[in-house]
Amino acid sequence: MTELRPLAEVSDTSVFGSKAVGLGHALRDGLPVPPGFALAGPLVEAVAAGDEAAVERVASAVRPLGGPLAVRSSAVDEDGADASFAGQHLTLLNVPSADELGKALREIWWSANSDSAISYRKRVGLFTRPSVAVVVQVLLDPECAGVMFTRNPINGADERMIEASWGLGEAVVAGLVIPDSYCVARDGQVRERRAGLKRIAIRGLPGGGTVEDEVAPELVERLCLAGSRLDALNELARRCEEAYGPDRDIEWAVADDTLYLLQCRPMTKMGGA
Amino acid sequence: MAGAPAEALRRVPLFADLDDDQLAQVALLFKERDFTAGETVVKEGVDGAAFFLIESGEAKVTVRGAERASLGPGDHFGEIALIDEGVRSATIAAMTDLVCYGLTLWEFRPLVIANGEIGWKLVQSVAKKLRNAELS
Repeated sequence: MTELRPLAEVSDTSVFGSKAVGLGHALRDGLPVPPGFALAGPLVEAVAAGDEAAVERVASAVRPLGGPLAVRSSAVDEDGADASFAGQHLTLLNVPSADELGKALREIWWSANSDSAISYRKRVGLFTRPSVAVVVQVLLDPECAGVMFTRNPINGADERMIEASWGLGEAVVAGLVIPDSYCVARDGQVRERRAGLKRIAIRGLPGGGTVEDEVAPELVERLCLAGSRLDALNELARRCEEAYGPDRDIEWAVADDTLYLLQCRPMTKMGGA
Repeated sequence: MAGAPAEALRRVPLFADLDDDQLAQVALLFKERDFTAGETVVKEGVDGAAFFLIESGEAKVTVRGAERASLGPGDHFGEIALIDEGVRSATIAAMTDLVCYGLTLWEFRPLVIANGEIGWKLVQSVAKKLRNAELS
């Protein structure tokens, strides 16, 4: 079953895409990544085409993970040096179980083959057939989540820049809230912490999909991260830099009192030094 | 294996001259694509990447904001994009939940390149369309 592998065994970007391989690398380095599988492009395409054997093969392999699931594209040319595909390829959060994966994979396959994705491919000089690999992971129910740059992306200073909000990190990534922002020196000293305005939290619905929940008034301007969490994030940044090299763009979440790494990719913008 | 129903594809002028085996090959390349009510299916002015055949549901066609037509089961749109990779000439929005079969240029092009007979019939079909347009 070379087209479907546990994330920890994934290492070939030309088969599984950089997102899946990055998570595989992280797991092998002992980083706290939610468990999951990577599906190669041809398998995703077979499922999208309604091939029943492929649908069953994926469902039976993924079923032991339980649910709900987060399903993310990991197209083989996604996150390239010159093209990010940000917003082009779909992420489906809270797919209730492995038995609903067929429809989810079809939607993701079409998102990479939609008019807007193809227009984008033309614009960035990648007018080739997309190979849509996918990552399927257990979906966390985070108390808070967000993003972290291991170096200041504006001025290049050697400090961690962290943004955080309540619930799933998509509220931060999609710009639905003004997140809390933190600046932490490499030695752990907190240089700045500023509370945001977090009126919305994205959370999973029992039957699948997500909802934008109103945040309780007393939490809207309360900081999500205490000092110990900032220490843990600083340590995660250090371990990610050790594993992947400097200047990382990290997505993280805190669930059940544990800090998880959701994604780690190279920073694409650098202002100063 | 799924794919689109061949009998529905037979009514698409671009595919009308294909024989049963050829049509079956084309039909197998289609994948189901679902849209929810209110969703934009294709947008005027955006590069087209796929041809769609409606299986169920209703859609509305607008050009520069003006409503031009309604589409329902068996109707189709976007076949020229498979060949010229050009921009959409209209916006189509799902009025109800919409189930379509879609064929992208990535699947269609290799089939035509590999099968000269299918390619020739498609050229004839496009020529017929051009002649009809000149006469009208």
